[in-house]
Amino acid sequence: MIKSRSTRLLATLVVGTAVLLAGCSSSAPEATDSQANKHLTLLYHFKSGTLDPHNDWVALRAGVVETLVRLDDQLQLKPWLATEWSTTDNIRWTFTIRDNITFQDGTKLDAAAVKASFERGIRVSKTLANSLKIASLEANGQQLTLVTTQPHPSLPSELVNPYAAVVSVAAEQKMGSDAFNQAPVGTGPFQVTKFAPNAEIALKRYDNYWDGAAKLDTLTFKFNEDGNVRALGLQTKEADIATQLPPESIAPIQADPALKIESIPSLRVHFLLFNHQKPSMQDINVRRAINALLNRESIAKDVMLGNATPANGPFSTRLPFSSKDAVPALNLNEAKQRLTAAGYEAGADGKWVKNGQPLTLELITYKGRPELPLIAQLLQSDAAKIGLTLNIKTVENVDTYLRENRDWDLVTYSNLAAPRGDGGYFLNSALMPGGALNAANFTSPQLSEVVQRLNATSDLAQRVAVTQEAVRVIKEEVPHAYTVYPNLIIGVNKRITNWQPGSEEYYIITNKLDVK
Amino acid sequence: MWRFLRKRLLQLALVLFLLSVVTFGLMKLAPGDPVLQLLRIDQVVVTQAEEAALRNQLGFDRPLLAQFGDWLLGIVQLDLGTSLLQKRPVWDVLIDRLPTTLLLAAGGLLVTLLLAVPLAFLAARYPGRWPDHLSRLLALVGSSIPSFWMGLLLMYLFAYQLNWLPTMGQGGLSHLILPSLTLGLSMAALYARLLRAGLLESLSQEYIRAARARGLAERRILTKHALRGALLPVITVFGMSTGHVLAGTVVVESLFGWPGLGSMAIEAILQRDFPVIQGYVLLTGTTIVLINMLVDLSYGWLDPRIRYGKGGLS
Repeated sequence: MIKSRSTRLLATLVVGTAVLLAGCSSSAPEATDSQANKHLTLLYHFKSGTLDPHNDWVALRAGVVETLVRLDDQLQLKPWLATEWSTTDNIRWTFTIRDNITFQDGTKLDAAAVKASFERGIRVSKTLANSLKIASLEANGQQLTLVTTQPHPSLPSELVNPYAAVVSVAAEQKMGSDAFNQAPVGTGPFQVTKFAPNAEIALKRYDNYWDGAAKLDTLTFKFNEDGNVRALGLQTKEADIATQLPPESIAPIQADPALKIESIPSLRVHFLLFNHQKPSMQDINVRRAINALLNRESIAKDVMLGNATPANGPFSTRLPFSSKDAVPALNLNEAKQRLTAAGYEAGADGKWVKNGQPLTLELITYKGRPELPLIAQLLQSDAAKIGLTLNIKTVENVDTYLRENRDWDLVTYSNLAAPRGDGGYFLNSALMPGGALNAANFTSPQLSEVVQRLNATSDLAQRVAVTQEAVRVIKEEVPHAYTVYPNLIIGVNKRITNWQPGSEEYYIITNKLDVK
Repeated sequence: MWRFLRKRLLQLALVLFLLSVVTFGLMKLAPGDPVLQLLRIDQVVVTQAEEAALRNQLGFDRPLLAQFGDWLLGIVQLDLGTSLLQKRPVWDVLIDRLPTTLLLAAGGLLVTLLLAVPLAFLAARYPGRWPDHLSRLLALVGSSIPSFWMGLLLMYLFAYQLNWLPTMGQGGLSHLILPSLTLGLSMAALYARLLRAGLLESLSQEYIRAARARGLAERRILTKHALRGALLPVITVFGMSTGHVLAGTVVVESLFGWPGLGSMAIEAILQRDFPVIQGYVLLTGTTIVLINMLVDLSYGWLDPRIRYGKGGLS
């Protein structure tokens, strides 16, 4: 029996919180009748607070919306919602929109719907507006005429960007923008049934999907940003697919006969970015010396536990325009020769000196990607073997640091080199004067000429050839020292069939995806 | 009473003003802004000129004082501004996340109470005997394991080995158990020790001896007479640890995939979404000050000696 005030206080607290909890978390148990209902749960490493297809990629990744052009598994452009496209001057483009497609709200996909969708996208996303450079749009039946503000040969590749997804603007007008951004209506194989921002998306099959209704009935697309928890989620069988697993979780997953690991090359490249404003770094021999000090083999094998491929240029070996040359190995002698060629001499203490000035370089790194500081340490120890001193400095916000400071010499860096299977993005952003990723304002007349030529080329085969030319110039001028192409590590339950992860990380949920 | 409240509310305003000056200053001193994120330089070609233009458009190149003045002007009109990245009113962003964090905090608190109170009573009833040792051991373990590790251990045991509970996500009560345990265990350890110490001190007081002399049952003495005095330090620490609970949910939220205020704050800080950070600091600041005010008020209710101004604990 409760008699005193204080015990009553305690009891009230306990009962109160219990009632609060019960009240807040009342929900029906999930239906998991695997016989009747084919269901799958995916654990994704990056959370989203909105499903607005023009501001977040997740709606495309979850199979809700689609784009006019896509990449195939060889990372080549392929028709999707558009069956074909053509241009004579790289300014006036005609796209034929695939017939007999309906949005998930039942309205027909025609050129007018695509036009309305682009107009919406440009209104809500500055990024999309900047990348498409649209001056005017004209719709006629299934024929869409698109005029750009300037010659824009890479337009088809820009249309692969998930922000260029086609949505039903009619549905948005009916639902209101807020509701639409929680449950967008597209042409994909799955439609949103419920969205809990930053937690999960519940999806169900869209029966009238144009490419054949999906094999799965329902699907849960969950977000969790902790790699160990994603691995555990896969091991408990709560999740069937878990993306971006930490390398140390691979062994326990492989030990489970029901699970497997897919480790595939990504389109990202880790590299050393040189500060071309510093006289020492302007000397190509110094850059070549550091390039020869990179032990790419060991970085791939020891630092990244085999989940990376040594790099010989910015573009991953899977891409048609990647360099086919052998990957340079660690070569201490070459590094010494290059430094001597740059006019440095080994002093009495073994340190390199030029005009009485010792060569000491500041190497910046950051923890955003855990392997980068380790790469810096490995480079530091190999450089020390030939008497070259590198001082490592770890910074919090690397891009701001590079912009606001001038005293650094080199930095461990990482970029997506070909996000849409095209090299133009990296060449323009990281290697052209004024590009946002060109922190040290590297300028090379020869490379700029090639990139400008690429920017004026629309023929795909020719683009590959010109990009290869740029890769050769890069190899000659060493503006960066490319280190490794990191892998994507994905854990999969073996009951999943008809599914392969792709390097582009776009087309995760498809109509073919099935479970045993 | 009213004078006390008025004074406290004035203090609240002052605290919040100072808090916002400090956070605003610190955030602006820290390197970085959301421009690169907003332009999505990792996905599309952007030029440094476009970067500079956006920085100018958002007013980041204006004098700090002018930026702060604008924000303060909004606050006095109860307008927290708009999130730079989510492009929604900060108030809506906060309100979306608040229930999740409150639910988690309530779960953690329930675990704390359910564990700490019985442990403390046992330990105080049998000081130096095995219940006391057990509670000391649990307290040591609970407070020395960091919550990210505790969370993973609990998941490994209950979700992976035993398969009783889900690892993550929201849904039924079962989804709440592991996050609440993770959050509650470390707090329970502290409270159990605190309440035990309080109980033992109360038990040595004159009025307890008087109660014993009147022949009251030991259990009744413990739950009725000793507990009330012992609750004072516990309530004080509770008030002070509200901040800890709100902040401590950060780790638990990201482990268990709970989109609450804590993980929102971390995101906002990493992305330099200044209005959201400011809004979060104001909201948590207000909560902490208000709870501490309630704690002060509760002293009089718990201990009549304070109410009548006759000394006692102060």
